[in-house]
Amino acid sequence: MEIRRHLWWIAVLWAGFTLSQEGPFLQRLNEAIQDGGSAYARDLQQDADQALCSRYRDRLPPEAVEPFLQRQRSLIRYPAGGRLLGDWKQGEALFTNPRKGNCYACHTGDPKEKGAGRMGPGLVAYGQRGTSEAVVRFTYEKVYNAWAFQPCSLMYRAGVHGILSPEETAHIVAFLLDPASPVNANARR
Amino acid sequence: MLTKRKLHALFWVALLILGLGVALTQGDEEIDPYKEAERQRELFRQTSGGILPGELYAAEGEELFTRKRGPKNASLEACDFGLGPGKLEGAYTRMPRYFADTRKVEDLESRVVSCMVRLQGFKPEEVGRDEVKALVAYVASKSSEMPLQVVPKHPNEITLYNLGKELWYRRAGSRDMNCSICHDTYAGGRVRLSPVRSPRQGLSNEWPAYRFEADKLYTLEDRIAFCYESVGVHPPDFYSEPMIALSVYMLTEATKGKHKFTELPGFTR
Ligand code: HEC
Ligand code: HEC
Repeated sequence: MEIRRHLWWIAVLWAGFTLSQEGPFLQRLNEAIQDGGSAYARDLQQDADQALCSRYRDRLPPEAVEPFLQRQRSLIRYPAGGRLLGDWKQGEALFTNPRKGNCYACHTGDPKEKGAGRMGPGLVAYGQRGTSEAVVRFTYEKVYNAWAFQPCSLMYRAGVHGILSPEETAHIVAFLLDPASPVNANARR
Repeated sequence: MLTKRKLHALFWVALLILGLGVALTQGDEEIDPYKEAERQRELFRQTSGGILPGELYAAEGEELFTRKRGPKNASLEACDFGLGPGKLEGAYTRMPRYFADTRKVEDLESRVVSCMVRLQGFKPEEVGRDEVKALVAYVASKSSEMPLQVVPKHPNEITLYNLGKELWYRRAGSRDMNCSICHDTYAGGRVRLSPVRSPRQGLSNEWPAYRFEADKLYTLEDRIAFCYESVGVHPPDFYSEPMIALSVYMLTEATKGKHKFTELPGFTR
């Protein structure tokens, strides 16, 4: 009896201790963020999966991966009419524009574009994969929501955040896959 | 001794020649950013009588530092940057640090402001950003090429380090970014032509620096703000806790990597 009572108290104290470890620090963090100004505090708000990535330093534990991917998949929207391949010329402008796709920051595309970044895999001659349903769908979904395939990827979720509409995403897909697009036409084979 | 006026004239001549240089080198070659920075630096040296733009800011800062100013008509020579009043040699290598008089962890920039307030009697809102930058350039020049020594010890310093680390990993905004995904996970990669370093590789050891691409002096806070802006997040206010916390985090990690400051003020992209 006595021992049980002691154990109970130890459990209560321990729970209180761990909570108080988490609580004050998060509170202090929020204070610091507020100190940065209201615009900063607004922009630093997170959705649940951004918070999860931060908490695990961008490397989720294995059991968290599948639910994460599922949640991200459910955020993907498609163009009315379902055409996932748009117009590559419009896609080129969106791919290049720093306020829209800004894809050259990290990827090569048209091999003639100078000074493309190298954080992401090269996309020159991406169209070699063909235009099967599976390739088109993967490319569309990857560009719309990169986190539906790789949790916490460096590549941001352009569609989810409304940086690219579904129609705009389809134009970019065409820029990558259309044989006439410079991504493929300018690639030496 | 060159007068300030002459320095400025030389500076503009140098800028003109630099512009020409940039125009002429836009060839087909992919430019190596490090070599390019070195080349631009030499161009400046040769065309301005051996004076770099950063040194102009530091000269201006020295003048502001020693002149009696403000409601209290005092100079900043009694300002304590952590090693005692007026001791500037190497002071920046240990900043940010905790200051007992303000009971705050301050980086060099916020310390300059609190000295202008406490010693010279300015109101915080009267302190101009350009003055602070010039003063930072001057004080930092006394730590040029010295080893970094930022090691959080005081409880408040440790708190700021932990806060900085949390902000470093915080993914947010419509570009889903945090500092770490670029500066740790993809360190060694390039965004466009810009090579990205990690704190352990020395990130943050060249500021304040003159950025020839922007033709401006950037302090570390300016540089942090620039990265936030480039990923679509409104930067924290100058001298605010997130700025100081991120500085503590990066400079502590760069200290662990056994890095030195570059020449200060630096000269970079
Ligand atoms: C900030 C860096 C960054 C930006 C900007 C970026 N990406 Fe990516 N991208 C990556 C990285 C890193 C990967 C590899 C990891 C992954 O799959 O998420 C990747 C992967 C991809 C893939 C899959 C490649 C393959 O071989 O399976 C495609 C397609 C792609 N990106 C297209 C784009 C397009 C189109 C844009 C612009 C709308 C873009 N990316 C913007 C970093 C970026
Ligand atoms: C999308 C990628 C990206 C993100 C996210 C990012 N940076 Fe940067 N950062 C860069 C690039 C590119 C440079 C320029 C490197 C150069 O030209 O030397 C840079 C430069 C810097 C520099 C100066 C370079 C040096 O070597 O001293 C600092 C300091 C810095 N970043 C801090 C931060 C902090 C703090 C954050 C988060 C608030 C952050 N960065 C987020 C890409 C990024």
